[in-house]
Amino acid sequence: MPDILEKALAEMGFALLEHRGNGEFLAIARLPAWFLEIWTEAGTGSGPIPISRQSPFLENFLLEAENYWKSPESAVCQSETWIEKSLSGREIPVQAKAMLLSGQRILTLFSPVSQFREQTKILQTARNALLDHERLAREIQKKEILLHCIVHDLSQPLSVMHVVMDSLSDESISERSKQFLALGKHASNQQETMIRQVLQTFSDDLSASLDAGTGGNASCDLLECARKTMTSLGPTFEAKCVRLAVASTVDFEAKWLVVAEESRLQRIFSNLLENALRYTPAGRGVTVGVENEGDFLRAYVDDEGPGLPQDLRPEQIFGLFMKGKQGGGKAGLGLYFCRITVERWGGSIGCVNLPEKGSRFWFCLSRAAGRTASPSPVAHDTSNSFSSEHEPKPLRSLRILFADDQEDIRTLTAYQLKRSGHKVVIAKDGKQALRAFRSAPFDVALLDQEMPGMTGDEVARAIRKAEHGKKKRIFLIASTGNTTSEDSRRLKQAGFDEILGKPFRLEDLNLVLSASLAAKSAARIPSIPAGPPGASFAELVTRIGGDEKLLKRMIRTFLRDTPKRLAGIADAIRRNNPEALASLAHALKGSVSIFGAESARKHSQELQDLGRASEVFGASEAFALLKEEIAKLQANLRGYANQTPARPKSNHAKRQRPPRNRGKRRR
Amino acid sequence: MLQKKICMLGSFAVGKTSLIRRFVESIYSDVYQTTVGVKIDKKNTQVHGKEVSLVLWDIYGEDDYQKMRWTYLRGASGYLLVADGTRKATLEKAVSLEQRVREEVGAIPFVLVINKSDLIRDWELDSALESQLAAQGWSILHSSAKTGEGVEESFSLLTQKMLG
Repeated sequence: MPDILEKALAEMGFALLEHRGNGEFLAIARLPAWFLEIWTEAGTGSGPIPISRQSPFLENFLLEAENYWKSPESAVCQSETWIEKSLSGREIPVQAKAMLLSGQRILTLFSPVSQFREQTKILQTARNALLDHERLAREIQKKEILLHCIVHDLSQPLSVMHVVMDSLSDESISERSKQFLALGKHASNQQETMIRQVLQTFSDDLSASLDAGTGGNASCDLLECARKTMTSLGPTFEAKCVRLAVASTVDFEAKWLVVAEESRLQRIFSNLLENALRYTPAGRGVTVGVENEGDFLRAYVDDEGPGLPQDLRPEQIFGLFMKGKQGGGKAGLGLYFCRITVERWGGSIGCVNLPEKGSRFWFCLSRAAGRTASPSPVAHDTSNSFSSEHEPKPLRSLRILFADDQEDIRTLTAYQLKRSGHKVVIAKDGKQALRAFRSAPFDVALLDQEMPGMTGDEVARAIRKAEHGKKKRIFLIASTGNTTSEDSRRLKQAGFDEILGKPFRLEDLNLVLSASLAAKSAARIPSIPAGPPGASFAELVTRIGGDEKLLKRMIRTFLRDTPKRLAGIADAIRRNNPEALASLAHALKGSVSIFGAESARKHSQELQDLGRASEVFGASEAFALLKEEIAKLQANLRGYANQTPARPKSNHAKRQRPPRNRGKRRR
Repeated sequence: MLQKKICMLGSFAVGKTSLIRRFVESIYSDVYQTTVGVKIDKKNTQVHGKEVSLVLWDIYGEDDYQKMRWTYLRGASGYLLVADGTRKATLEKAVSLEQRVREEVGAIPFVLVINKSDLIRDWELDSALESQLAAQGWSILHSSAKTGEGVEESFSLLTQKMLG
């Protein structure tokens, strides 16, 4: 070989070797420096070099190379990169290629340093990103669970504390006890604020993560997701000798589009399939199916295991940290994750024993394609919730159906409602609530969300379905700790008129009840004269059924909560969050309606409409006007709150002394 | 001296390279360095009084970017199947790899090593699946390349199985 060519090959880093058999090679050109770092003895003479004996990788590759040299017509024989170590411990990437040139068996070795470095960099980045994504997905799941723990576990006792303190306020107690009570109320209010702040922080964080992944309104194919998950879990099923199949009744040609986000939906299928596998003996099967369910699509996973545990109700199986006794999962989070995720998407989930053997775990999700064609139950504004045919009733005689699975909350709230003059029927779970609804007429149903048997959502849907075609409709109030804008949207879709955040005070409940009453009474009560921002004290007392004390509480609540709501609206505008804007404006509209502040109501309505139309950028002007009206209303209400009570109810409106600032308003 | 080839198989970032470094050099680094290509190390060890030279093939973790070449398993006496206890999917991958090895090269001794036991609080593996695999005769050990827990034992157990 010409010297110049030899030098060029060595300079380019190629080692050209001729195979002499028996794992030995002869260098046919000058060897590059990197080669001599690894095979040091090659530099000591011109004899054969037993390179494969030193390199197990090359030894393995030569088996392929031998085949190639015997049948060179086969594909190119080239190795992947492997790492050799020099005597000094330096790691050197190497690639090999077998060639047959003029009948000679040639092995070329090359060290692709820069290519290897580049490849490493790309793979490192890609795999780091994958690991980050996995970590993020796990964090999101943990946060979701933590969020629900905070809401549910911390809010429940606080609700009881509020109701107990409200009840004590109405008792004859000493001045000293009143001071203690005030301290207790202050502390529980502080705690509530803290819970709400934590909740909001998590909620914002979570919404951002979810929006980043789904765009908010994602849809995906239920069957496709099921099949992808089945493919990835296939080997695990095979390892346990459990058959895994799609039900023969499934229409594979149809589109099974649902409102859901694909990676979470796959996780739901994965959790349900793993659960099925856990309880299905070897030799048996697990079947996955999808089917139509009205406006929803249902997916199910059937197993051939021992059936549902007898000591647990189906709804308990989806509870937090719930693990089966027989080979339960690690943390008891899988099925809980399924439930909270499905419910977040406005769906439902459950499980039943199959007639012969095994159990079925199912979930229903809204059809994606049908969402716009046949919308879910419409969210009803407080202002027009009752039809004109609905006979208004005085506040004190509302027929209320109250359902909550917490006995203490049930007892105390029912006690307070009865004290306020309402007729109350209590139910300890969703099914009982539905039975009560079917057996007697009610004006209002206050339903807790987290009830065994049927959730509040499910009861609301069933009630709205039963009311279909009827003129009368019950006013539905959701009692829930989940008060994010996404939760509100979900609850309104289920048919609720109002949402009462937990922990709630009796004042909040009365405010909501009064809002409904004020709204339905609007047709019969003369409209508030234009001009003054809000009705007179006497008019307001009449409006809420003659209870001055209640009115003052409502005023205090309004004065306390409105700055927060205004700040929330400002924040929603700043963050360009139409859902939050619509929700907060809607809540504020209900509040100002009670006090007859027509202009404030109008501006709130404008903001709500802008939010629903996702036109947040046009909201600043309406918000400025709303703030002006609210400021005027607040000034008036502060005056009312300081009014001296103790006038006979029958004619208190006539005898009432004008509030201090009333004259000012009239000027 | 008896020489035995061992392959390390498993998803990416489960700790295959770290296990080898801990076993061969008694060192560990917290920084994840992905393996590109194949690295081969050797370690002499004694099992039941027999000197054995282990040739350890650290094969890159298979994923969408790099697919395994089954020819690397040629001549292997056994393999360590590595999963990461904090990532459930890696155990599923291990189960799938075992099945493919059986199809490609037949049944050879292996040990399932569930790594990162130092992060046991963050483990998300389903203990039921682990029990099922053990019931099928799988040898399963927990390890931590970081602390060294279970590392020697994993290689030793595999060597014993390879020697029959």
